[in-house]
Amino acid sequence: MGSDASDLSLVQRVQRGERSAYDLLVLKYQHKVVKLVMRYLRDPADAEDVAQEAFIKAYRALPQFRGDSAFYTWLYRIAINTAKNALAARDRNPVSYELDMHNGDDSTDMVSRLKDPETPEGLALTEEIRNTVNFAIDALPEDLRTAIVLRELEGLSYEEIALSMDCPVGTVRSRIFRAREAIDRRLREVFDGGLGRAEELV
Amino acid sequence: MSENQVESQLSAMFDGELPTAECELLSRRIDRDQNLRSRWSRYALIGAAMRSEPVATARSGFALRVSAALAADLAPKRAPRGRRLVWNTALAATLVAAVAGLSVSMLRDAALGTSAGPTLAAGTQNGAGALAETALAPSGAALVANEPAPAAAALEVLNPTPPSYVTPAGSGGAATILRTQLADYIVAHSAYSTPLLRRNVLSELITSEDAMGIVSTHTIAAGSDATRSASGASR
Repeated sequence: MGSDASDLSLVQRVQRGERSAYDLLVLKYQHKVVKLVMRYLRDPADAEDVAQEAFIKAYRALPQFRGDSAFYTWLYRIAINTAKNALAARDRNPVSYELDMHNGDDSTDMVSRLKDPETPEGLALTEEIRNTVNFAIDALPEDLRTAIVLRELEGLSYEEIALSMDCPVGTVRSRIFRAREAIDRRLREVFDGGLGRAEELV
Repeated sequence: MSENQVESQLSAMFDGELPTAECELLSRRIDRDQNLRSRWSRYALIGAAMRSEPVATARSGFALRVSAALAADLAPKRAPRGRRLVWNTALAATLVAAVAGLSVSMLRDAALGTSAGPTLAAGTQNGAGALAETALAPSGAALVANEPAPAAAALEVLNPTPPSYVTPAGSGGAATILRTQLADYIVAHSAYSTPLLRRNVLSELITSEDAMGIVSTHTIAAGSDATRSASGASR
């Protein structure tokens, strides 16, 4: 089962005219796309505008998407082109023109340059979310923590994680789900505590 | 299926580890279930926070803005009111010019006695040919009507009198008035119809006299070679 099986299912629904399925793809990839665009456009607000444009372009082009590549790979190219065009139009200097899909995400220099919306509230919320997630992961049992880290940070499939952890795929699925639930509980506590509201995030 | 099982499925679907058929069903359920939708969004947020992606994006309503932009983009667009007004005015002017030009042309032809010429309508009633002639309403705004006449009527029109307008007995000119009213109606309402539709209506008006039983024609000069030859052919 490919990592984009669910993406393809959603894409096929969109291609059949069910636009609501596209909302799930946007929710899933919005952070990655904004981060990608921010390598070209320093200003977070500009990056969000360009990322939004990229999602709209992708939606319009979806009828031509045949599934030859993963949806995110295809979306990635559209986002890069949109960012370059925006950069040319605005006559700005990019942070870096030499990007690679696989090693670019690991660049700590790039990560250090990323900025969230610079309002005090935005910075505080960003910091609170990251701290909450980190604390929650630290508090996880070892097997759950390993499973979620291999999945989210290393991008391994369930089968690869199962091989790595020497356990059945079903166990991996269960561990990842339980890890997410534990982290999600902590996040909801933060949102309910007043720093942010869950409905603003979803 | 328990709620916990559905949420476990959601986690697997988020990772692309759920069979495609189940993805289809679950994604439809997400459409209806705000709790699942929120959970899907928070799963994305957790991964983004772990990878140091900009998590405040979600808080700024990014996904909602994309959805709203798509909804606006897909909404049917109408031409601005000003542009529609210009088109309607242009169409109305075109129709009025066309009708006026036709009327002037026919009036001129009538005045010169060359009105569109009699034509032969073959295979008409009683197996005989009949003359179908052009009639022009006195107002000049009415339109042409072709009427296949029986053989006897065809003979009647072969009189030596100069061209004149003849209306059938009993109609009392009502047909001409009706045609005039119809033409006036079409012109007056030209702003609300398309050129093609107007043309069709005008054509209908021209040819409908058959059905209305209107004999409206002008007599043909007795010495008209064309009329005689047509009459001869009908015999």
